[in-house]
Parts: sequence; structure tokens; C-alpha cells
Amino acid sequence: MNRYQILLRKIGWALFTILFVIILNFFLFRILPGDPARAGVRDPRLKKESIEILRVRFGLDKPIINCFESLNPIKVGSCDVNPLDTQFFIYVRNLLQGELGFSYHTNRPVGELLSERLWNTVLLIGAGQILAIIIGVIFGIVAAWKARTSIDRVAVISSLVAWSLPTFWLGIILLFWGSQNGFPLAGKTTPGMSSMPLLQQWGDLAVHMFLPTLTYTIIYMAEYTLIMRSSLMDVLSEDYILTAKAKGLSNFQILKDHALKNAMLPLVTVIAINLGFTVAGVVQIETVFSWPGLGSAIFEAVNRRDFPVLQGAFLLIAVAVIFANFLADLTYTYLDPRVQTE
Amino acid sequence: METVVKNNESSSQLGVRQSFWQSFKKNSIGLVGLVMLSVIFILAVFAPFIATHDSSSSASAEIGDIYNAPNLEHWLGTDDAGQDVFSNFIFGARISLIVGFFAAFISLIIGGTLGLVAGFFGGRADNVIMRFTDIMLVIPDLPLIVVIVALTKPSLLNIIFVIGLLGWTTTARVVRSQTLAVKSRKFVLRARAIGAGKRHIIVRHILPLVMPILVVQAVLVVSGAILSESALSFLGLGDPTALSWGQMLNYAFGRGAMSIGAWWALVVPGFGIVWVVLGLTLLGQGLEQTLNPRLDTHHLTPGRPAVQSEAAKPSVEKKGTILEVQNLSVNYVNEGKAPARAVENVSFTLKEGELIGLVGESGCGKTTLMLALLRLLPSAGQVVNGSVNFRGRDLTQLSDDELNKVRWKEISIVFQGAMNALNPVRTVGDQIAEAIIKHMPEFPRDLRLQARVIDLLDLVGIAADHKDHFPHQYSGGMRQRAMIAMALACNPQVIIADEPTTALDVMIQAQILELLDSLRKKLGLSIIFVTHDLGVVAEICDKVLVMYGGVTAEYADVDTIYNEPRHPYTQELIKAFPDLTKPKKKLSSIPGYPPRLDDLPAGCRFAPRCPAAFDRCHTEQPALHQLSENHIASCHLVEASK
Repeated sequence: MNRYQILLRKIGWALFTILFVIILNFFLFRILPGDPARAGVRDPRLKKESIEILRVRFGLDKPIINCFESLNPIKVGSCDVNPLDTQFFIYVRNLLQGELGFSYHTNRPVGELLSERLWNTVLLIGAGQILAIIIGVIFGIVAAWKARTSIDRVAVISSLVAWSLPTFWLGIILLFWGSQNGFPLAGKTTPGMSSMPLLQQWGDLAVHMFLPTLTYTIIYMAEYTLIMRSSLMDVLSEDYILTAKAKGLSNFQILKDHALKNAMLPLVTVIAINLGFTVAGVVQIETVFSWPGLGSAIFEAVNRRDFPVLQGAFLLIAVAVIFANFLADLTYTYLDPRVQTE
Repeated sequence: METVVKNNESSSQLGVRQSFWQSFKKNSIGLVGLVMLSVIFILAVFAPFIATHDSSSSASAEIGDIYNAPNLEHWLGTDDAGQDVFSNFIFGARISLIVGFFAAFISLIIGGTLGLVAGFFGGRADNVIMRFTDIMLVIPDLPLIVVIVALTKPSLLNIIFVIGLLGWTTTARVVRSQTLAVKSRKFVLRARAIGAGKRHIIVRHILPLVMPILVVQAVLVVSGAILSESALSFLGLGDPTALSWGQMLNYAFGRGAMSIGAWWALVVPGFGIVWVVLGLTLLGQGLEQTLNPRLDTHHLTPGRPAVQSEAAKPSVEKKGTILEVQNLSVNYVNEGKAPARAVENVSFTLKEGELIGLVGESGCGKTTLMLALLRLLPSAGQVVNGSVNFRGRDLTQLSDDELNKVRWKEISIVFQGAMNALNPVRTVGDQIAEAIIKHMPEFPRDLRLQARVIDLLDLVGIAADHKDHFPHQYSGGMRQRAMIAMALACNPQVIIADEPTTALDVMIQAQILELLDSLRKKLGLSIIFVTHDLGVVAEICDKVLVMYGGVTAEYADVDTIYNEPRHPYTQELIKAFPDLTKPKKKLSSIPGYPPRLDDLPAGCRFAPRCPAAFDRCHTEQPALHQLSENHIASCHLVEASK
């Protein structure tokens, strides 16, 4: 199999996963109880005409999919409908056109509402992830290098402690500390900042980002430290490191030229797999710091029972994670010569 | 009969459990975790007796009771409803633990079953299950849990099920790979061969070996579930009637604890979560380390400095002698136990253009001796006596920088390249060029360097177009030859070849030997050839050093070794390989194994296997006897006949 075919297969696999998420996302909201739109059209206090208006408005007058009028309660319907005229295909068609429905709360298009927030989340994850990786990798290298010394032990134990912290709780504690030390307590900007010079706006953003990013960094750095350490320990025990030593290379040269690349490979996979878990952390951090991102959108949507926003946010996050995974997978293929020719 | 077998099995399992506990007891991390968990369990179980306040006393709360700082009445203060934080903390432990354990139980059952089925049955089932697992692994779990719980009623039972139903993915993966590993073990294959049912094999043979991994996994899944529950409660999706730690934080955070400065209402519940999760994490680490003990040292861990031996004479550079090893002894330090005496009192000399064969069974200290020459021993290894004189310098006493100039430039090593001696992520040509760049800084780093690499590859019979290939694209024989090319890169004077042909088939073996011999003649190299096969070196070497159990058994020129071996071990080794001139001669092998180096016999190390051993052999270690100028043997029989 050549590189081109591998790439095609990976793209195909990512698309298949996205399709699965779309289907899951659609049916979850049709099978489980709780969606006020559907609850609304069953409300006995409403007049028949009002119910009909609501049904048409939310598209609930159409069958869910061929043969099924509704899934909760299950109502078998005609299998003879035009498949393009079912709720499922209307949903998919709207998705392809970038339409995610309208927020119950603000009546704004969900797509528009979420796209503003997507970038804030990307900003937070980006900054936190880069810091966590850099610091985690450095700590991991030092711990493996100084294996068995007290530096190593401190690095491992403190990583295990940080790894055990609930993300939102660390956020609360840091927020508590920040509130005593003059940090902004919520949001991304100070009101009125948009009229200030650009440099000052950035400074304002940096101050607002500091605590959320710090929370993120502490939580994820710990894991990267542990993985980097054990990965580097494994590599440094390999035969080819002994060869490099016999070649008269200095320890630093061995680390730089023979160990680091090999040790980083597992880390790439872990970073990719972690993205899914990372999102869990981001939802909590954004909620604590009222950071206007996708995570806090989820929190707000849950509390306001704003289901179109919840559905949209989940889809967007899932697709973003799948995409990031796909990129990490490609990076791995590029980095490890053994994968390319298999 | 059946019962006897069963008894044996269960007693051996009991033994395994006991030894597991013995080694777990020494693991401080795991023990700390266990103690931390026990404390919280006791608190949870005896909550009604420990809590100072009834948890449902909020009905009578007055405004003055809210967010009271810790005092004598309320040790950890009161919360937003005027309730006692300490008591809620104790009762909260129950809820967090119940959710964690029940959700994890569901995850483990699902993940364990899927992993077992995928691993055991393989093929289509494996494919479908693992593809599905991959998809579920990519989908971010907390948002999905949030969606599902938001759409259903946030009751404790729902939360347990949703967390449990979504938390199985890593378990499935771990169990699958363990099942795959166990499936190909001998006793499972045997059970299959005699036609045991699949159910029987899974339950009796595979499950017991998957279980330990599943226990470690369980610990991690429980902590994950507790974290998920707390996050869910914090986001406002917890069961409002069950005051878990997450729910306590949700109320405190949402109802002004921050602005009032009621740190106790924020710190205490979070502390509970950290305590349990940290306890589980430490326990998991401890279990993992006990199940898969891994060395915490590696090739770059600083070694132990050589003991400067008083006996080492300032070496007189004898004419023609290039390397002289005198009375070299190497120990492996064993914490808490007596050191393993891996090499003891070994001496030999290597002359220019000479090829010495170093022969002995596996575990005789050959490789240790070779690694000690260039100070490449693992960090537990230590030169405790003797010297390695290379052109007037004692290599055991050089500084690291000085030594790095000798390594490869003067003495290079051919490792068993068929295995893993070449870096898998760098091209072979690049790795050869690296040695030249390091040791010959005057060498131009342009096309001439590439030409030199191509020349070296050509010398060992590898075509130039393989230069930029990676080691995995080479065959075993090619890798070995590439290793030799690399060893020649800096024109060294001595090459140590450490079992370079062991993993190769006979034809390739012959080629490599021929290659080394011709290079020796062409380039005037001195070679130390390490092998466990006396036959291999018979044709090409000048001298042979036979080692047994870390000591010299016999050392002489090749003709003497083959024609007049004096040590019974040498004699047995010679009997063990076929002689083409006497095809009818019976081949014999030496019964038994070489001694463990940390448990050496009191007398001669070969005595337990020696056909000629007598009383003295078992009590007294024989000295090295000089039989003629170039013939040494360590055997009491030699002394008797002298």
C-alpha cells in the first residue's frame, strides 16, 4: 500500500466517523425524551391548530425516516414516503448547507452563534495545549534523564497529583486565588476595550486568558510528563542507544539524535487520543471562567434547555475532534518511516 | 485424579497471589493509595456514626447559618443552605463512591466482554468491535454524557448508566491486546489442540490471565467515573436529591461562595474528589508496577566507577600487543543481596591482526566482558578489579570524554544487528555517516562523505541504492553487514564482534564470517569474536578463550584447544559439535545449565555438570594453571597431572 492509498483510507475513515456522529446526534435527540419542541406538541393545554403550527415549524410533521413516523413513542408509518422528505434527510441537507437550526433562547441561527464561540475555544485549547506539551515534554525528558533521582520522584508524584485534580475544581481554586489578586473573574475582554489601541486589547485578552490557560496547562501537562518519561525510558533502554553510546556519542547527542524522535512518536498518538478527553476539560474550564467558547455554550444550552444549540455544539466539537485526530494520524505517518511502507 | 490436578492448580494460584502481595507490599506508591482509599471507605461506610450533623437538618436553617466559617460547632463550616460541610462531605463520599463503582462495573463488564470476544475470536468479530471502539474513542465523552443526561432525567441511576455505558472503550482495547497475547501461549494452544471447548478455554485459561490487567484497568475506570460524575454535577446535571461532592461544589460555586469568600465550601468537597482519585491513581500505579516490573534505569544512567585495582601494573607496551586485559572482574550490584559475580579474573591479550574467539554458553559472562572493555555496562555493573590496557592506557580509568574518543574510533563493536541495534527511524547511510562526522571532523561533509558511506557499504556487499533505506527495509543478514560497515567507518584497530551471526541462518552466517576474516586480512584489524558456538570460530581464529560461569576455563591457541583440550568443559564443547571427518561419531550435549551468577557453587563453577568432578571440585575453586607459554586452564585435574 502506498502513501496515497493510506491517505485515502484515513480520509474515508474520518468521513465515516463523522457520518456516525451525525446519525447519533440526530437520533439521540429523537429517541430520548426531554426535547421541549416535542414535549410542546404533546402539551394537552394547547389547541389543535397551535400544535399543528408548532409541528410544522419544527419540521415534526414529517416522518423521522422511512417506515417510522416517530421513535419516541415508536410509531410505525408508511415506508412509501419520499426519503428526501423525512426529518433525517432534511437534517442532513440542512447540515450540508451549514444550517444547524435556530436557538430556542435567542432565535439566532445556531451556526452563527457557535462559529463565534468556536474560535474562542480553539484559542484556549491551542494556547493550553502548546504550553502543556512543551512543559510536559521538558519535564518528562528531565525525569527520564535523571531517572531514580529525587528530581524524577518529585516530577512523577506531582504529575500524579495534578492528574487526579478535577479540572473544574482546579479552575475554582485558581479563580479564588485570582479574585484575591486582581485578575478578571469572567469572560474574554473587559467591556469597552474595543475602542482601545490594539496592543492594549491584546494585553487585556492575555490577562483574561491567563487563569483558564493555566488551569488547562496544569491538568494536561501532568499526563504529557508521565507519558514522555515512560516513553523516553523505553527508548533509552533500546539496543540502538547502546550502539550510539559505543559510537562515542555524548549523552546529549544520543538524546538529541537517537532518542527524542523515537520517544515523541507515542506522544503524538496520545495527544490525538487525548483531544476527546481534552474537550471534557475545556467544557469545565469555560464554565468556571465564563469563557465564551463552545464548552460554556454547552453549559448554557443545558441550563436553558436550548436543544438546537446543544445539538449543534456537540456536533461541532465531535467533528473538530475527529478532524484533529485525523491530522495527528497523518503526522504520525509522516514521522515514523516504519508506517509508510507497511 | 481430577481433584488432584485441581488442587495443584488452586494451590499454585494461591502461591501466585501470595507472591503478588509480597511484592506489592514493597511498593510504597501502591500502599499509600490503598491506605488513602481505605480511609475514605471507612468514612463512607460509617458515615452516620462519624457525621456530626444530620444531613437533612436544613429545614430549620436561618440566614445566620449560611456560610459560617469553620468553628467548634461546624468543624468545616456551613454551606449555602446552612448545612454542616463536614457531615455533607462524609455523606457525599457515599454517593461519589457508589456512582464511581457501579458505573465502572458496567463499563468493565461491557469493555471486558467486547475485548475478550474481539481478542479470542479475531477475524470479523474483532474487526467490527475494534472499529466501533475506535469511533467511540474519538467521540468526546463528556459532551455526549451531558447531551444524554440533559435529554433524560438527571437521576442517580441514569447518571450511573450513562457514564457506565460510555466508559468501556479503553478497557475493551486493553483486554483485547492481553487476550491476544495470552491466546498464543503454549498451554492455551495445547488446550485447543486437545479439543477443549471455547467456553472452557476462555473461562479456565484466558480469564485468569486477563484478570490482573482488568483489575488495574478497573482502578482507572473507577477514578474516571468519579471525575465524570463530579463534572456532570458541577455542570448542573447531577441528581438534585443526592448531595455528591460535585453537587456540593455546584451549589457553592453557583450560590456565591466565591464572592463571600467561603473557601471551605469550595475546598472541602474538591479535596474529597482529589483524595479518592489520587488514591485510585496511586493504587493503579502500584498494581501496574507490581504486575509489570520495569527497570528504572537505562543505557544513559550513570554507571559505577571502576575500582582502581592495586595489582594493575603500569602496562608496558609490548611489541605487537594492542589490547591487554588483566585480571578483569565485573560484578552486578543487586540491591539488598550479594552481588552477581558476572566476570571474575579474566585475562587475555590481543595482538595486531589477531582474531580471538571468546566461547561459552549463554549466560557465561561473555557479553558482560565485552561491554566492560568499553565501559558500556548497565548501571548495575561495576568493574571491581583489573585493567583494560589499550595502547598504554587503562580504559577503566579514562574520563568519559577521553573514552568517547576511543569508542568506535579505535575500538568498535558489531552488535547483534539483526535485532534492534540500528535506530529504526534513521536511514542506515545516515547512521554510518554519523560515526564519521563524530570522529573524523577533518573529513569533508559533502559528496565525499556520501561516497565514503557507499564505499563502506560496498565493502560489506550492500548496493549503493540501499544507503538511504531504513533498517526495517533490510534483511537480517544485510542489517548485520550494515552493522559491520558502520564498525569499519572510522578505521578502528580493534573490532569486537558480539555474536554477530547468532540470529542468522547458516548460509548468511558463513558469509559474515568470511567477510570478517577477509576484512581482517585486508585492513589489518584485530578482532574479538564472541560466540557460543565453538564450531563457528574454529576456522578463522588464532586463539580461543573458553569462558564458563564468568571465569576462564581454558585459554590457548586454536590448535591446542581443538587437539589437546585440558578442561573438561572444553572437551565437552568439542564433543558437542559435528566433525565432518568422523561422521559416525556420536554427538553429545552437556546436561544441565550454566550456574546463576548470583548463586554460584562453592567450588569449581563447572563441577555440578562436570563428568570428571571429584570431591575437591565441589569445595575449592581451581586456580588458573599455566600449562605452557600460551595455554591456561583452570581445573584441579590439570594441577594433578602437572
